Amino acid sequence: MSTSLPATGPEAAAQLDEPTREALAELLLAMADDEFVIGFWDSEWTGIAPLLEEDVAFSSLAQDEIGHAQVLYQLLAELRDADPDRIAFGRGAQEYRHARLLDHPRTDWAFSIARRFLYDTADAVRLDLLAASSYAPLAGVVAKMRREETYHLLHATAWVERLAGGGEEPRRRLQDALERLWPDALCVLAPLEGDRRLVEAGVLAEPLADGEQRWLTGLAPLLERLGLPFPFRRAGARLEPAVERPASPRGDHSASFEWLWGEFTSVYRSDPEAAW
Amino acid sequence: MEVYEVFRQEREGAPMQHSGNLLAPDPELASHYAREFYGRRQESVRLWIVPRAAIRDLSDPDLLQPPLDRSFKKPVGYSADIKRKLAAARDRLGVGSAGEPEAEDPVVAAGRKGAEQA
Repeated sequence: MSTSLPATGPEAAAQLDEPTREALAELLLAMADDEFVIGFWDSEWTGIAPLLEEDVAFSSLAQDEIGHAQVLYQLLAELRDADPDRIAFGRGAQEYRHARLLDHPRTDWAFSIARRFLYDTADAVRLDLLAASSYAPLAGVVAKMRREETYHLLHATAWVERLAGGGEEPRRRLQDALERLWPDALCVLAPLEGDRRLVEAGVLAEPLADGEQRWLTGLAPLLERLGLPFPFRRAGARLEPAVERPASPRGDHSASFEWLWGEFTSVYRSDPEAAW
Repeated sequence: MEVYEVFRQEREGAPMQHSGNLLAPDPELASHYAREFYGRRQESVRLWIVPRAAIRDLSDPDLLQPPLDRSFKKPVGYSADIKRKLAAARDRLGVGSAGEPEAEDPVVAAGRKGAEQA
């Protein structure tokens, strides 16, 4: 662990060496884009969720994710002395660094729940790895995000259990969604170029690949109990995927995402200089 | 689907107040929805989520609005009755009406003396 840094962004950023700053920027961008994109996909359920109460709940969860993206873009902006709105809205679709799990369209309810469950559980592990980060501004933000994510996890797990035990059709839809999503879910904790350096600097507790093992080990009992797809083989103490890992975990985005990007940047692109 | 009634507390020590109700398939989701409806803006420190079916409803008018006069069970009803009796006693004794607050009311004075002797 390195010595602790001051809590304000610009000063903390100034104390990092250039390669560590680059590695941290890569991690922050990946996390912020993940939260931003899932927030926009899930906000598409506003008005059409299975029941009014769920409509409010799911829309509120989506708003939380946009809020998390906002604070992460802010941290990134301090690191690079840039404008957070420009980072969030001013890039081309293929410049986003969200995981391929978030390239799929909303699809049906079981699909959106399956994705949220896979994403939230993986993201929870990522947040755990950052809870004691030597980069104080990030540790502070993560502490707040984890408190909100506790509820997100309860909500997603409640729905997975209900769809799994909710009769033939909900169960089949959930199974199909998980089978389709598992390879791309492996992109959330896929190694980043600089994650070893972040571990050395105490920014990240462990490499993301070790986090992925924690994530899978944690998920196994629930998915096995519910008899849901879990395509992994035990190789000694490790779980190895029985599906192929996508070659480009955070790039080569889909046409669906390009459509979503067109939606969520449309206002910004109409006048990038406007003050909102 | 079941109806749940939700009560919320705005700050520690404040009373639990009825906020409204919601529909949910089970108690766990009811808790999540209550949190979204009545807590997502940080307006609550505690919620009670109660299945409406668990509430004993009492609205029988024979029990709650009996036809006979019950005004004597209310503080205000009792004082109204006392005032009427005071006025009657004054009439009997031939003293003035309640418009002279300086002098001790003779009926009250009689009562006080009786209490002192006892």
